Formats: sequence, structure tokens, C-alpha cells
Amino acid sequence: MTATAPLPATGKRPRTAPRHPYRAALASARGRTGLVLVALVVLAGLLAPLLAGHSPTDQSSQSLAPLGTPGHPLGTDDLGRDLLARLLYGTRADLGIIVLSVPLGALLGCLFALLAAVHPVLDTAVQRLFDLVLAFPGLILALAVTAILGPGRLPVVLVIALAEIPAFGRLLRGGILVEREREYATAARVGGSSRIRVLTRHILPNAADPLVVQIAVSLTVAVFVEGAMSFLGVGVRPPQPTLGSVLSQSVPYLSDAPHFAAGPLITVTALVLGLSLIAEALNREIRR
Amino acid sequence: MTASELLEVRGLDVEFTAPDGAAVRAVRDVSFTLRRGETLAVVGESGSGKSTTALALARMLPGTGRIRAGQVLLDGQDLATAGPQELRQVRGARIGMVFQDPMTALNPVLTAGAHLDEALRAHGRGRDKAARRARAAELLDLVGIPDAGARLDDHPHQFSGGQRQRILIAMALAGEPDVLVADEPTTALDATVQDQILTLLGDLNRRTGTALLLITHDMGVVARSCARVLVMYGGTVVEDGPTAEVLTRPRHPYTAGLLAAVPRLSAPSGTRLTGIPGAPPDLARLTEGCAFAARCALAEDRCRTATPPLAPTPAVPGEESGTVRAACWPAAERHEPLPAAPPPVPIDRPRPGAVVLTAEKLGKTYRGRGRRGRTVTALDGVSLTLAAGETLGIVGESGSGKSTLARVLAHAHPSDSGTLRLGGRDVTRPARRELHTVRRSVQMVFQDPYASLNPRMTAGEIIAEPLHAFGIGDRAGRARRVEELLLLVGLEPGAAHRRPRSFSGGQRQRIGIARALAPEPSVLVCDEPVSALDVSVQAQIVGLLTDLQRDLGLALIFIAHDLAVVRQVSHRIAVMHRGRIVETGTADEVCENPADPYTRALLAAAPEPVPAAHLPRPRNTQVPA
Repeated sequence: MTATAPLPATGKRPRTAPRHPYRAALASARGRTGLVLVALVVLAGLLAPLLAGHSPTDQSSQSLAPLGTPGHPLGTDDLGRDLLARLLYGTRADLGIIVLSVPLGALLGCLFALLAAVHPVLDTAVQRLFDLVLAFPGLILALAVTAILGPGRLPVVLVIALAEIPAFGRLLRGGILVEREREYATAARVGGSSRIRVLTRHILPNAADPLVVQIAVSLTVAVFVEGAMSFLGVGVRPPQPTLGSVLSQSVPYLSDAPHFAAGPLITVTALVLGLSLIAEALNREIRR
Repeated sequence: MTASELLEVRGLDVEFTAPDGAAVRAVRDVSFTLRRGETLAVVGESGSGKSTTALALARMLPGTGRIRAGQVLLDGQDLATAGPQELRQVRGARIGMVFQDPMTALNPVLTAGAHLDEALRAHGRGRDKAARRARAAELLDLVGIPDAGARLDDHPHQFSGGQRQRILIAMALAGEPDVLVADEPTTALDATVQDQILTLLGDLNRRTGTALLLITHDMGVVARSCARVLVMYGGTVVEDGPTAEVLTRPRHPYTAGLLAAVPRLSAPSGTRLTGIPGAPPDLARLTEGCAFAARCALAEDRCRTATPPLAPTPAVPGEESGTVRAACWPAAERHEPLPAAPPPVPIDRPRPGAVVLTAEKLGKTYRGRGRRGRTVTALDGVSLTLAAGETLGIVGESGSGKSTLARVLAHAHPSDSGTLRLGGRDVTRPARRELHTVRRSVQMVFQDPYASLNPRMTAGEIIAEPLHAFGIGDRAGRARRVEELLLLVGLEPGAAHRRPRSFSGGQRQRIGIARALAPEPSVLVCDEPVSALDVSVQAQIVGLLTDLQRDLGLALIFIAHDLAVVRQVSHRIAVMHRGRIVETGTADEVCENPADPYTRALLAAAPEPVPAAHLPRPRNTQVPA
């Protein structure tokens, strides 16, 4: 098709100044729903000390109290700990882990991608390194890291960061390779700009959009990884709650006390759904 | 509707929704008829609504496009309101379509035979597989693919671009449609191949009686292919008449302007192209009145307030009345035609000075991937010289190595062999620091004004980038220089704060030129600087480059595939074919007395906006293998 005016590519632009794609994405119905879901979960985590009313590790109550017990709106677990408190503090712990690990993984991945952009030999080396990380299934990696460092918060953060490095690295490397061949990059080189300047001023800003989407996607993956590690007992050490560990604890009581599992399940679902919606909204908007 | 009328479009309105929700009226109140066996060209620049009109006929509008009003009557059946089942019976069977890019329109894993078989089966042609195969071979033969039977089992990559377009035409003909709609079928092809495809379309029309609706932006293509022409501007039809009449005696000022802007092969070197001032209208904010009024020299007050209807124009000397209709208030009362093409205006330009750039036996080879990767010789011993104040035109078809040559000359890629001298200094393979100084004196203007500007930067930042790179001036000095450069290329200084997407194609190319001029180069390499632009804008940019050369004494390399424009701007022309320069000489000499058979083939294939009757008999020229 020839350049017909109304297609966005021909740049027949709107009456109003074009909005930044991220803002447009977050203003869409999809983006807003995602934001609300994520904000609810984040608020719950942030305000845990105010909302909980009990210590998450206090075992002084009756065990397996049902929903709506006075003083324990969500009931208690098998050791008599308040489930609302465990849910709120568990959310808090989860959020702490994912907001630390994903940016760390993203940063390392991008650094490797930049390294790969320097020289073809380095590129091959970096690529094989990514392959190496990807060759290990996530949980094997988790078990290996925990075997070395012992269980706790730090190994969880490291495992998630490590697992995310190839995702970000490959994405940025691909973006750099594509943008580098664009005519404006050639124009900058012919215009006398140095390699560093071409990379930082011209190529990176244009290759960065997919990374923002990837961050939202990676956050959802991180929620799962943390959950899986706690579920297997190689995550954050008990009695500190996380969403994964509360869920793991609830399994024997699924038929007798389904509300035990419901809290963490609903929270994880809300968080993952919210982040996915945001990722999707961003993705749609930047592909325009 | 009489029996001879096949397709009648009445008051067609097509609307798109822009990303911000604004309604864009791409086609407004378009009416025309197509008779059985007729050839009709729809010509216009980008944004004129010509492709949208064609796609709306078979209700194939992309994205948010929808028909808002009007009728598309095919033998009395209204396609604008037809259901999906009815449309399926029309598409392919009664309206065949051919699109622009033959390279992506065929499925690479299917053979030519499989493509045709599918098209035949979709329309229930051929009783069994064998019958369909025989018909497929017949169709390939019809579109002029030699040894058709044997080639049915070949895959798309085994055919050339022109042959692929022939296969697509054969597919469109498989359902034996009444009308073939071809949307820019030759735009992606080289001139010599374009000529063959246009000849084929004409032959098919004569032999099978299939009506042809050809969408194009090129007046030369119109002249070679169609008996009647519809000129579109700003989403409406502005002129409708026999091709010979419209091309020689245009009634609408836009048609006249468009014809004057087309570079003619007959115009000698050193003459000025006449462009149309201004830019096409923004379809999202159309106002009352004629869409062309803002750019029209003949506009009156009523042109800005009332939309003129498409009405028959008074007869002009030498013409029977009523054959041409135009949507123009002044034209409805005028009894003489507008000048189709004013005589070329010579420009006074200084004589070229001393030689600044010399290339000797430049070579460049690209290697495919892998150990046994195919090598492609892009440059094969190219030698040239360029003097200050001189324009060297380089013409050739795709794959001839002209873009590689541009990049080697501008030091975007190193050459593999040969020497390159700049002002007597050997700069073939400069060290990093030397490269930096060399780049300051050789700058480049790129083909694609959309891709060559960083979308994240403002025009001011883009132009200041080379100043920054070469450490020219301080912050305030650079801002002043940017302002100067913007004025130099004919843009407002206020444009510095806007991003590329808010400029039109021609304006973006001006920004690209300002960027190239920023470090005050002595050589400017222009790689197809106008081929992505509309004809009326092309003339403005070519004029700008010529003026800049005169004022700044620049040495210009002007690369293009269009011989006519190259002849007008260049002092000398070099013709490239398969990585070699096959002929060089002064621009007029090369165009009037070509020595090389390839140059002759290029000249013969160049489409001129002259009605076919005025054309010399086509010479039997083949591209030498």
C-alpha cells in the first residue's frame, strides 16, 4: 500500500500534542485496571504494620480459626498465627524481593548487552553466557544457589536477578543491532559523532522501549519464582511469612480450611494480573 | 447505468480514526465510472486518497478505515453495503487486485504453481488438479514468463522482482475478473522492469478485455498505460478526462502544477524544476472550500469558502467540448488551457573550480553469512573526480552499487581496494583521528527523510549534533548556527524545538540537509535525496540543493534512479551498472547521445508524462545481460 494519509506511519498528526506513549498506556482502560490492582497490593504491603493488628509470628491464638473470628478477620493458621497479618507481611516481603531483584537483573543484563555491542567476539562470549544461564531450569538454579548460600532473602534476590539477566540482555542486544543499522545512526556517524555518543545518544534511547515492557513482565515472573522457592522451602527462612510460604503451609488443610490458601492466591493473582495488564498496555502503545 | 458501465462509484466517503481519536477524511465525495475494458489511471501524491479509494472498492480498507457514505456499484450491485459472503464472491472473481511490493506478496514456502492453484481453486476454476495445473501454466505464459510449464514448480526466490509481479498479475487474473485494480504495481521496480510490466498490463487489457484501474503517483506511468485519468488531491477528484487531453491541456491548477513539477528528460542540464509552493493539506483538519486553494496561484475568494463541484469544463481550442471535468471555480469559466509544462528556466551557476575529490578503482565486496556465503561485488573498480561547485549525477538501477558508492565516499563504510583522495590527501583508510577531520569536509544527505532523523531528538538537536561532534562553537554559538541553518534551508527558526514526526517529508529532508551543512563541508553526497518525496516537493528540494551549491560552492554527488531529474541538476553524469561506471560524460551528452547500450535502455524506459501518441516508437532495447 502506498503512503495513504490516515495511517499513523505517515505522521498525519493530531490536533493536540501527542502524549508520551507510557502515559497514554497507563491512561488506557487496560493500563488503569492494572495500575489499580498493583496499587492495592502495594498499599497492602506498605501499610502492613498499620493494618495487621497482630505480629505475623505471634502464635498465641487458637489454631485454624475460621473466617470472621473476632480479632482475626481472615482466621488463623495451623500454628495459631493471624492470617491477615501473615498475608500483609508476606506481601510486603514479596514486594521487597521483586523490586530489588528485577532492577538488578535488568541492570546486569543491559551491561552485558552493551558489552556485546562493543565487538563481535565479545558478543559471542556474552551470548554463550546467556545460553549457559538459560540452560539451567529456574528451579535447578534456585536449588544450586541456595545450596551454596543457604536459604534466606539474599539467595532469592540473586536467583531472580540471575534468571532475568538473559531476558534483558538479549532484548537490548537485539534492539541495539536493529537500531544500529538505521539510517539515523549512519547519519550520526557520518556527522562525526563518536561511537560512545552514537550509542548513548542515538541508539540506546530508541532501543529502550521494549525494556520497560520487559520490566513489567519480569516482575510477574519474579512473583512466581519467589512463590515457588518458598513453596519448596528454599526461600525466605520461616517463621517470616512470604506469599509462597503461606501457600505452602496451607496445602495440607485445603479441604478443611480453604480460606487458608485463598488469601495468598488472590493476592498473587491480583499482582500478576495487574502487572501483566500494565505490560500489555505499554506494549500496545509503544508498537504504535 | 448503461450496459457498458462496469463500475460506478457515487459520492464515496472514507474515514479513518487517528490514534488520538480524530476523524481523518481520507476520501471525500469521490464519484467516477469505469466502463468495460477501459483503462483508468488514478493519479495523486501521498495522502491524496488514491489507494484508499482503490481499497474501498472491494471493501479492503485497513485498520480503522470505514466507508461513511456513498455507493460502489458493480453491475448494479452495491459493494459498499454487501455482506461478507457477497464480497467473497466479488473479490478475485470480479475484481482482481495487484499490490505494490512483489517481494513480500508471495509466500516464500509455496511454489508459483501452488499460488496459482490456490487462486484457481478459490474461484472454482478447473475440474481437478491436472486441469488447474494446465490453466496455471497458461496463465504464467499469458503474463510472459518464459518456459511457463517448467517454472510452475519454482519458488518465489527463484524469480526476479519483475517476474514476481507477473506471477501476482497472473494470480489476479486467475478468477477471470472484469476489472484489475493495480495499486502502484511498478513503484518498487526498476524503470526497465516497470516498462515491461506496463506493457504487459496494456497487452492483457487488449487481449482479455479486462478493465484496468491503475493507481500511481507517476504521471509518466499514466501516460504509458491508461486512456483516461483521474487526478486526486486532498481526498477528492480534481480532474477527470482523457489522458492525452489532461496531460497536454490540464484544466485544474493542481494538475498543471503537478505536470510542471515532473522532471522531463528533454530539459537540459542546469535548468530549474518548478515546484508547487506549500505542502498538501492535513486531512484531519480540512476546512470548507477547495483543498488546493492554499497552494493555488489562481485562487479566488469563493475557492476558500465553497467546495467546487466536479463539472465539465468549457471546450478549449483544439478539443471537443465536455470531455474533461474539473473541480475548480475559475476553470469552469476559462476557455484556454493552463500550460502543461513551462519551458525550462536556465539557472546561472558558476563554472566548476578545482578538483576536490578523486576516486580511483574503488572496490567493495559484501560477503554473505557462513563459510560458503555468496560474495556480492557492490563496487568494481569505480573511478571518478569531482570539482568544487560541480554536481556529479550518478544514475543506476537497484543493486547497481550507487548507494554503496555514496557510503564509501562519505566514509560510512571503508572501501576494500582503490584510493580515495580529498583535496590531494589520501583518505582511503584514514586513522581514527584523521577520519574525524575528513568527515567534517564530506557530509551526506540520506534517502529516507523518515528513517534518517532520530525520532527522539528535536530538529535543533539533530542539526546541532555535528557541531557538537566537531566541537564547533559554544552552547550559544551553536544555537545561533542552528537558527542560521534552518533559515538557510527554508524553515522557521522556531522549528528547532519540534520533533521530526511533526514535519512533512519535504521539511524533514530540509532538516537532513541542514544537518549535513552544519560543519561547513566541501563535498555533499546526496543518496537519492528526493526519491521518497512527492513530485511537487521534489522540485523544492532539488531547487534548494542547487541554490546552496551556487551560494556555498559545494561539490555535490547527486545519486538517483530518475535520469530526468539527474540531467537537470548535474553538470556531469556517471551511469552505474553492476558495480561499474559504464558511461560518464556531460549531462546533456549522456542523455542525448548515449554511448553504452545500458544507458540507452535506461533512457528508453524512463517514463515521460507525454501522451503515448507523442512518444517515439519504442525501440527494441534489452538490458544487456
